Amino acid sequence: MSKYSAEERAILWLCACTKTEYRERTMLLRAAPSPVALFAEPERFFPKVCKERAKDAYHSKQERRQQEADAFLEKLERKGYFAVTLISDDYPEPLKHISLPPLVLFGAGKRELLAKRKFCIVGSRITPPWAEKLGRTISAELAGQFAIVTGLAEGGDLAAIEGAMSEGSLICVLPCGLDECYPAAHASLKEKVKGQGLLLSELLPWETAKKYSFHARNRILAGISEGVLILSAAQRSGALITANCALDFGRDVFALPHNVGTAHGEGCNELLKKGAFVTTGAEDILSAYGMKRREVKLPPLTPEEARVLGVLREGGELHTAVIAERAGLKVFEVSALLSALEIKGVAVKSGGNKYCAV
Amino acid sequence: MIAKIICYALNGLEGVPVEVETDVNKGVPSYDMVGLPDTAVKESKERVRSALKNSGLLFPMNRITINFAPADIKKEGAGFDLAVAVSLLKASEQLVGVEMGDTVFLGELALNGDLRPIAGLLPILISAKGHGFNRFIIPAGNAKEARFLGGAEIYPAHTLVEVVRHLVGTHPIEPLAAVEFVPHAGAKTSADLKFVKGQPMARRALEIAVAGGHNLLMVGPPGTGKTMIARCLPTVMPDLSFNEALEITKIHSVAGVLGEEGIVSERPFRTPHHTATTVSMCGGGNKIVHPGEISLAHGGVLFLDELPEYKRSTLEALRQPLEDGKITVSRAGGTFTFPARFMLCASMNPCPCGNYGSSERTCSCTPAEIRRYKRKVSGPLLDRIDLQVEVDDVAYDDLASTEMQENSADVKERVDAARRIQRSRYEQYGINTNAEMGEREIVAFGGLSREGDEILRNAFERMHLSARARSRIIKVARTIADLDGSEQILPRHVFEAVSYRIFDKIG
Repeated sequence: MSKYSAEERAILWLCACTKTEYRERTMLLRAAPSPVALFAEPERFFPKVCKERAKDAYHSKQERRQQEADAFLEKLERKGYFAVTLISDDYPEPLKHISLPPLVLFGAGKRELLAKRKFCIVGSRITPPWAEKLGRTISAELAGQFAIVTGLAEGGDLAAIEGAMSEGSLICVLPCGLDECYPAAHASLKEKVKGQGLLLSELLPWETAKKYSFHARNRILAGISEGVLILSAAQRSGALITANCALDFGRDVFALPHNVGTAHGEGCNELLKKGAFVTTGAEDILSAYGMKRREVKLPPLTPEEARVLGVLREGGELHTAVIAERAGLKVFEVSALLSALEIKGVAVKSGGNKYCAV
Repeated sequence: MIAKIICYALNGLEGVPVEVETDVNKGVPSYDMVGLPDTAVKESKERVRSALKNSGLLFPMNRITINFAPADIKKEGAGFDLAVAVSLLKASEQLVGVEMGDTVFLGELALNGDLRPIAGLLPILISAKGHGFNRFIIPAGNAKEARFLGGAEIYPAHTLVEVVRHLVGTHPIEPLAAVEFVPHAGAKTSADLKFVKGQPMARRALEIAVAGGHNLLMVGPPGTGKTMIARCLPTVMPDLSFNEALEITKIHSVAGVLGEEGIVSERPFRTPHHTATTVSMCGGGNKIVHPGEISLAHGGVLFLDELPEYKRSTLEALRQPLEDGKITVSRAGGTFTFPARFMLCASMNPCPCGNYGSSERTCSCTPAEIRRYKRKVSGPLLDRIDLQVEVDDVAYDDLASTEMQENSADVKERVDAARRIQRSRYEQYGINTNAEMGEREIVAFGGLSREGDEILRNAFERMHLSARARSRIIKVARTIADLDGSEQILPRHVFEAVSYRIFDKIG
């Protein structure tokens, strides 16, 4: 197993083959002069930190520990996973500086994405269609310069994934081990991300998602990225945890402004009040990092389409019948025009026969 | 003496001639029935005995044998009573000199000698007329449904005595006068599109659905008038032709749900509850096979309110009839085929709480719940529903544009025009509507311009449409073009058709 250095192996052994907790592992690593020393003489350091629970680990013979580590690494190899430890060369630099950095990250897919600049886009599972659409567009535009970091859930995460998928510069951090999939319905999506982007998890491949693992995952989302964009967040939302982590770690926080009084946007507006960057398009994020936006051409519109789009721009979210009234057209004519605008990507249907421009 | 009387048994929707042969011999008084009679037929002995006695006629105290021929089909129900009674009278020489060789006797007897109406009379009459029988004696209670059968002598009788007097010629019964069929004659429904407030999208979808014979799914919060819109469907559908009406009446007659007017003059509208079983939907029964809801909806609308609440297996059972327009039911009593060419109209909420996509109220469902809710309706079933439209949760009746007060008759005119175009186009293809187009017809008539093809390709990419949505979009676009009076499918038709595919996006 020449792929991993002795030190990396020692950390992997500590994380995968001993019954220690995160806190104990960090204490052990701090107590020992080097991970290798810890691996060679666990009996010197373990009893002080963890008494009964990890007894097997420090009573075992060195060959036994060697075997355990080899077996684990072989298992990883077989599944096509790789492991990045805190001391590996390509361990994401920003992540080292957060308060509780993961000691190991397990990954599957394009490892080289770890070296790229990273930007996180997340949103609540229930994200209004216009925000999903905007999130997709922003994600697609940023994907040229950044690797887009997000989760694997519906709504905001999915929008970010769909936007960045074609560029292939996409990192999904899972709240469970790499073998598992949460939500289960996104198993095929997970495979797709594995093929075109990168899956990351700090948990051992077979571990399932616990209540607290979402919180822990969100700290990685924020910690690994330079900035975080919140597409939508209710008063109490997981996306807000990510935003708070980002603030703790000193990352930039961006948020989409929502209508006052809409439940799924209250968290975003709250963030904006506290000083997050108001974001209405990719250029807001790119300019914050001194980057230029690639020119996007508006698709050609017929005069009637342009008229309907004008009505939409003026009125915000409107019902088809209202649009017809204002544009002076028949309802079914307008619904044809609206679906033309939707196909051309400048309007989006938001449920209940309502449309809005994006 | 042996008497032979013609009667009819019902086999699915077909009448089968049955000869009732009665032999009265000397010997110990006895009464035997042979030829596969079921319980109800065997019990006719007691009814016939009392009816004869109470009509002042004689029940022969002899050795009586009654045979139902052919012996190999099962005879069920009480419709043989009159034939048994008349054959008994004939065999016991109480009807001497009366010639009734080809008269068909139908009816159930009451103990006092009254004649009771029977189920399935019209299909029997139609079959019998096809077999060359021209004279019928029927219960007066069935007269309304029988009078639409022209070209036959039909005598409605109230009692057994009337029948006997008619046969011996003392008091002949007036034959029924044939009545001309008038669609909507028995119109009871008060549904009309003019009462539907707002809902411009749903109204338009309804018009397209009827014009092209497409199935329709309405998605919207509870209590927004989905049922009311659905009830308007029959009012914009083309008028029933006499042959269609007869076919529908046959089914309703067999099921015993025929109304007062005797013939179905309006397109049926059936709304089975979501607890309906597969058998009640498709048809079945222990011995007698009854047509199910889908057959009762033949020629009309089958409305399934709250689609995901129906049992999965029940919904799946609809798939084949939706394709073939008929259903074949196999039971111990035999295999029967009932017609089932209906328009499916379904409604559902967008999510379990009903508020998903609403701007006024917040949806309290988790994405997993919504997914589970939608998954209750299978993809293959949705494949057969060409139009999916969202119903608004608020009435936009403050938007008083002329379009919204349009009544059913005006919409129907446009629908009829579009149907005419389709009929002439598909004359050689053996289909009537755009919805029935197969691959061959889509290639022939669903051709898109290069521009239209480009639009569809873009739509697929942008809106994440499923691959199988393509042919459905083309079919709907064809109907929209027909409503527009356009020979070609233009881009605006494709665009509009795309807007009726909400389920492919959210599903």
